[in-house]
Formats: sequence, C-alpha cells, structure tokens
Amino acid sequence: MNTKKLTAKDFITIGIFTAILFVVEFACGMLGYIHPYIVASYVVMIPLVGAIPMMLFYTKVKKFGMISIMSVLLAIIMFVTGMGYLGAPLIILAGVIADLIAKSGGYKSVQKTVLSHGVFCLWICANYFPVVITAQSYRQGLVDAGYSAEYCDYLFRAINSKTIAVLLILCFVFGCIGAWIGKAVVKKHFEKAGIV
Amino acid sequence: MRLKLDPRTKLYMLLIVSAIVMMSATTPLLWTIRIVVTVIPLLLLISEKRYASAFRFAALYTVALVLTFRFLSEESTGILKALLTGYSGIVVQFLPALITAWYVVRTTKIGEFMSAMQRMHVPDGIAISLAVVMRFFPTIKEEYASISDAMRMRGIALGGGNAAKMIEYRMIPLLFSCVNIGDELSAAAITRGLGGKGKRTSVEVLRLRAFDWLLIAVFTAAAVVFVVFKYVL
Repeated sequence: MNTKKLTAKDFITIGIFTAILFVVEFACGMLGYIHPYIVASYVVMIPLVGAIPMMLFYTKVKKFGMISIMSVLLAIIMFVTGMGYLGAPLIILAGVIADLIAKSGGYKSVQKTVLSHGVFCLWICANYFPVVITAQSYRQGLVDAGYSAEYCDYLFRAINSKTIAVLLILCFVFGCIGAWIGKAVVKKHFEKAGIV
Repeated sequence: MRLKLDPRTKLYMLLIVSAIVMMSATTPLLWTIRIVVTVIPLLLLISEKRYASAFRFAALYTVALVLTFRFLSEESTGILKALLTGYSGIVVQFLPALITAWYVVRTTKIGEFMSAMQRMHVPDGIAISLAVVMRFFPTIKEEYASISDAMRMRGIALGGGNAAKMIEYRMIPLLFSCVNIGDELSAAAITRGLGGKGKRTSVEVLRLRAFDWLLIAVFTAAAVVFVVFKYVL
C-alpha cells in the first residue's frame, strides 16, 4: 500500500508504541514520589529509556501524522491519569513540530530523526506546567493532599519559572542523546534480527 | 445484578473523576465528594463480579486515606514519613482515576468502544489507536511477567546490578514481542475489514438507559458541587 493516507496498520502501530511509552513514563513517574529531585530528573530518565521504543517507532513511521497522533493520545492519557490539561497544548505542539522535522528528512535522515526525538521529548516538560503556572495554588494543593512542607520546598526549588528553561533544554539535549543510544540499540538488536 | 452501562457513560465517568482528583480537596465536603466518586466505580466493579480487584483497590485506598488524615501533615519530616507521604500521595491522588480506568478497560468490549467512538464522531485514527492502547496494557503486563520469569530462570533478574543492562534485558524482549503481537493484530483487524471504505456497523446497539442517565446526573452534580464549593464559595 503506497497511499499517502494513514492505514489501519499505522494506527495500530501508534497505539502499541504509545502504550509502551506510557508504561515507561509511568514506571519512572512512580520513582518521583521518593524525592522531588527525581521529579526534575524525569527530563533525563524518560528521554533515555523511552528512546529505545521511540527509535523503533521511528523506523516504522513513513507518513505524516503518526507522531502527531501519538502526541494527541499522550495528551489524552495524561489528562485521564490526572496530570492536568494545562500541558496538553504543549504536548500536541511538540508532537506536530517533531513530526514536521522528521518529515523534512523524509523520515529517513538520521540527524532529522535525532532532532525530532529531541523536540518530541519536550512533552515530558508539559507535566511540569501545572507546577510552574499555578505555583501558589499547586503548593497549597499538595500540602492539603498530605504532602510534607519539606517535599514541597524541594519540589519548588527544583521546578520553578526560572529552572523550567533549563529543564526544557536538558530535555531536548537528553532527547537527542537518547535518540543516538536508541538508534544503536535498535541496530544492535532489531536490524540484526531482521525485524526492522 | 449485572448492570450494562453504555461506554459513553463510562467515559464520562472517567472524565469527571480525573477532573475532580486534579483539584485538591480542602474541606470535609470536598473530601466526601471525592470519596463518593471513588466508591461508585468500586461498587460497579463489584456488580461486575470483580471482587478481588475491587477488594484490593478498596483496601489500598482506605489505608492511604487513614494514613493521610491520621499521621501526615505539613510538619512531617524524616525518611519514613517521606516514604509514607509518597505512598499515600500516589494512592489518594491517582487511585480514583485508576479504579475508574480499570473498570472501563475491563468491562468495555472493543466493539462497544469503537461504536461509541463512532457515535461521538471521534476521527477513526484516534479511535483505533486508543482502542489498541486500551487493549494493550494487559498484554504488556503479561509479556513482562513472562520475561521476568525467564530472566529469573536464567538467574539474571538483576542484570548484575548494572542499571543499563537491567533496562536492556527487559526492554528489548518486550519490544520484540510487542512488535510481533502488533503485526498479528493488524493482520487480524484488516482481514475483518478495519480501515475499509464502507461505514462500519456494529452488532452492539448502544442506548443510554435510565441507569446511564442517573449516573451521568450524579457525576455532573458531583463535579458542579465540587467546583462551586471550591472556587465560588
């Protein structure tokens, strides 16, 4: 099938990889409750670990729209699991831009794929948005929900309107590094096995 | 008694529950609403005869609530308290949405889900992908369990204490099986005409019954009361 339009097979691929990516995100997310600094280190962990399934996903992306749809699904899942709706536009925006970058490389160029994954990883920062934008009420909310003031202090020392820029950049950088590692892993295991 | 709810009602419930848990509860009234919207999906799980999971969820939630109210406060410090805060924080915050999501995933047939999506005019691409995501979580869990078993048999469950190895050993086999399952799934779906040009029809006829409306009313009321008492009064 050489159509430009997405087929049912593509949608199924998107669904599977979204599920895997969410499992990675969720596993890392659980660690965040141990210490707030780990919440900030999501920008390192998730791009690195998530890059392996993502790079495998990228080998299957041939048409425009697949990465965008994935970001829409992520936004929906993030909403349902209680991360809020503030990040949703950012998630979808990151997805569409990543899609455009990958498209400009014809979904084959290595540099474009790496860059695209870096941009795509910015969706992780979307989870911080409620913390930054609604800092005051968010803090009150955490305290009311039974978090200790200590946890809140650490959390807001790590994530605030000043550090968000750093976090965004880190996210992008580790997205790119993760993409290189992911590419190597995919090559080591999947290309040799003839799956890709 | 087995209640058959319309998938649209279930999705609406999920939407409301996740909206309510996102806003922090500050007064006893708000906590009551939160607990009520958590108990309803639990009762629904029981009505579906899923006693084990209902009981597990209920126990987890109760313990976390008791911990939150009796032992933890703004002043709590120290490692043990921090871990407890973490535990009950996760549970109190996410369990209501998780219970509802579990209920929706476990009791909605994919056919019903697709036809509900179609009735709500959700684009096919999103509907199909979401259906796959929903169906896939249990599969990932199963595959992961078999991989862990295999690793334990080989005696490499901890990957020699090397974090990168641990991730690699788990992730790669998981991806292999997921890719294969995905291929099989698309082959099966396409032979059954998914992605064809014609309009899909469904064996399941969706209808909102009295009980659906009742639940929709209850959840709407819960959301309205919550918002009004939190932000207006």
